[in-house]
Amino acid sequence: MKSVFLVCAVTALAGNFGCHVGTQAPPSTAPNQGLPPQTPATVAKPAHAAPEPQPAPAPNPAAVSEPAYTDGQALVIHDGKEGWTDAEAALRSGYTIVDFSDDWTPFIFAEQHAADGTVLHNRYRRVFLGLANDTLDEDGEPLPAGEKNHLELYGIPPSLGVLRARFLTDEQQTCHATISLEKVDEVESIAYVAPEKTKVEEQRTARLRHELEDARVKAKVTSLAELAQKDPTLAAKVKAYERRTAEKSAMAEVEKRLACEGMFKRGVRHATGVYDEAMRLAVRRFQQKNMIYEANYLRSKTMDALARPPLANDYQSFMRVLRERVVSAAGVLEDGSVEGKSGAPTYTGKAGKPVPVRNLVDELTQSAAEQLGLASEEGVLAFFKRHPAADFRRLRVAVKLPALPEYYAPDMDLAIVIDRGEVWYDLPWDAKGVRHAQPRKRYPSFHLYVKHNNQRILLARWRTTVGGWRAEQASDGYEYFRYKGSDVGPRVIRNIVAGPVWIAPESTPTRSLVKMKDVGGAWQRVVNYDELGPGYLSAYGVVAGYFVQPGKNGRADWDNGIRAHGSSDYLSIYSSEGYSHGCHRLPNHIAIRLYSFILRHRPMRVLGDQGMGFARQFLAGDDVFEIRLPSRGYSYQLEPPLPVDVLEGDIKGTLKTPVLTYVPKPGTKYPGPPPAVRSSDEGRAGASAKPEGEE
Amino acid sequence: MRTQMHWATPWHRLARKHWVAVATAAVVFVISMAGWAAGKNGRDAAAKLADETGKTAEAQAAKADTVHITIQTVPPRKAQVKWGRKNLGAIPVPRALVVERPRDSGPLDLIIRASGFLPVHTRAYTFTDSRVAVKLTPPTEKSKLFGYREELAPNPDAGAPAAPAAPVPVLEPPKP
Repeated sequence: MKSVFLVCAVTALAGNFGCHVGTQAPPSTAPNQGLPPQTPATVAKPAHAAPEPQPAPAPNPAAVSEPAYTDGQALVIHDGKEGWTDAEAALRSGYTIVDFSDDWTPFIFAEQHAADGTVLHNRYRRVFLGLANDTLDEDGEPLPAGEKNHLELYGIPPSLGVLRARFLTDEQQTCHATISLEKVDEVESIAYVAPEKTKVEEQRTARLRHELEDARVKAKVTSLAELAQKDPTLAAKVKAYERRTAEKSAMAEVEKRLACEGMFKRGVRHATGVYDEAMRLAVRRFQQKNMIYEANYLRSKTMDALARPPLANDYQSFMRVLRERVVSAAGVLEDGSVEGKSGAPTYTGKAGKPVPVRNLVDELTQSAAEQLGLASEEGVLAFFKRHPAADFRRLRVAVKLPALPEYYAPDMDLAIVIDRGEVWYDLPWDAKGVRHAQPRKRYPSFHLYVKHNNQRILLARWRTTVGGWRAEQASDGYEYFRYKGSDVGPRVIRNIVAGPVWIAPESTPTRSLVKMKDVGGAWQRVVNYDELGPGYLSAYGVVAGYFVQPGKNGRADWDNGIRAHGSSDYLSIYSSEGYSHGCHRLPNHIAIRLYSFILRHRPMRVLGDQGMGFARQFLAGDDVFEIRLPSRGYSYQLEPPLPVDVLEGDIKGTLKTPVLTYVPKPGTKYPGPPPAVRSSDEGRAGASAKPEGEE
Repeated sequence: MRTQMHWATPWHRLARKHWVAVATAAVVFVISMAGWAAGKNGRDAAAKLADETGKTAEAQAAKADTVHITIQTVPPRKAQVKWGRKNLGAIPVPRALVVERPRDSGPLDLIIRASGFLPVHTRAYTFTDSRVAVKLTPPTEKSKLFGYREELAPNPDAGAPAAPAAPVPVLEPPKP
């Protein structure tokens, strides 16, 4: 009896393991082409591609056929023709392999390995890929068919498979033929008219039209332009009327354009000619699709994009996607942000002559585009037509990029300096609750330097944020204002966390911790995990570097909660009135580039997923909400840590040091005096805890 | 999606009768067969992971396609567990409610309702097997929860002034 069972068990076990052997990714069948130096050999497309493993974790249902290459091959252009070459050999020949696959992620989300070779899985990688491929939503749940994510502004560019579909669809789209882009182009912007004032504004325009028409008849001229010339006192009215008329015509075309591109949200009704919530959401979606940093109105950058043909916008999207892929492949960061009125800063090169800091991001992207025949809209469209969706599952391309500057090395002596710019500690309102402007001419800025041959070379300079007055919930359950400043002085970044999780401190207003969500067809209140993360809407963005003061004599680092992190609140970074809770925000795509660059040019250790079992309850209404966080994110440790220096900046106003107590909000009734301030190392983030009603 | 509860298995009785070897072999057999059956569906996922990570399929085969989420309340009460419109069932006290879900299929936003307690909104994840032990609070104790707002005094003029008086600034001491 025993032996029968044992035989069965052994047989079953053998079968069990055996059936999985066949699921291994097939070995590459690409022959080593024995490339001559500098010139990769090309081979014709193989007649039979290797067996195809399943695609990335977020599969694209459209990709069902076999790609035209084997695993080890990369696309290369030789004498203007596409061919396939052995990727490893191309690398050895000085080529750079750029990942064009739909399962590309930036370095920070790539699967890393521990010292013993174990794969250290990144929880957010699957979601990142699903978002980029329009297959998953922010929670990692399947995206409804036909839905699009449009998350470039949040640091998640579309995959090339998504872009391919966009190009091919837009080329075939017929509704664009009915739109007059000229009318859109005629106006620089369209003035916002609140929905409830639309009729009044129309009546005002009609009155103006009658007034000017009467004047025109009396003046015996044939046009309003002539009227303005003949009677200069009416010139301003004529100009205003013509602008309003042109804006109205443009608005009608914008509505058609947004509808044609599927920007209006299903179920949200839009009244023609009115800038209502449906219109605002459609404009925001369009801005997000085209990576336009602008408030959700029809302002100049948005209007420029609306006046371009769809394929022209698609081409710009493609170039942005290509840029991220090239930046990732080459491991560069210099994006021209250091250039001033007198051009780029210089350093003394090996030859003893001044060398300007190059804009490697643009230079290398352009080089790749030109080599691949993708430097034009037509070239990209032809490329996408040539390559079926299946090709983008694992497509890689080989390009010869310009040589990197002499200061590049695997271990670069990097350092961050943050200038807080002009800082106000004064209360932004008076005893009567009236707000007072706190203008700044010099804004906070983030600088990355490299030390090379005793020179400090500035590689990048970006706008960032510092802390200011924010709303906090005190222990009595009421909200107060509190000054949440940014620390000054030397710090280090020891840990970089990809897909960081923000543990909302108890001082976070509960109104920002609950949101409505469609759960299986039912709208219900849930904890607002968007803001906690991991995710592109997280208070820490998609990646964060943790500022600490290094512990001495065996003591732990001191963490006051300041981070330099990506942010979904992208407008706050460029706003004249944008403040954080003390952290230094960067646009997510910049933060991704920055930390990917640092991790690839500094000694570091992959710690992997930082599991935890955090749970905390809070009351909202008569329901209890429970925050559950299984992980803090995916951590990398810099060894040695990266030096950071935060400069104090110029203190404006009367107060020269920050207020440390809670300050009652104007107009709010409280049960007693303000409770004592609570502090936590997570209290410096939180896009939510801004003043009520603030956008 | 299916729910299931914990049951004692006949294998315990077999073991008590000293059929340890037989039982062990049988358990191994059952697990293996279950693994083989699941492998049909699991193959794609394993291949996907193998492709993604470069790891061999054997290493990935250890990962099941589904995860089990064990839901309990503290104190243990017969509570209804809802996920959107779906009623996942009642927690069969003293046992837990066990929910099986496809691995990595996104989180479950649950509402747990027990008579005499405030409803609790919580979340379960599908990365791995997990236990969700939810603390229940009776309405009489809601003032103990964070977020509870102290009631204003009946006289609206009581307490702190509505408009902010000029704050008495407590200034930041020099940093260490």
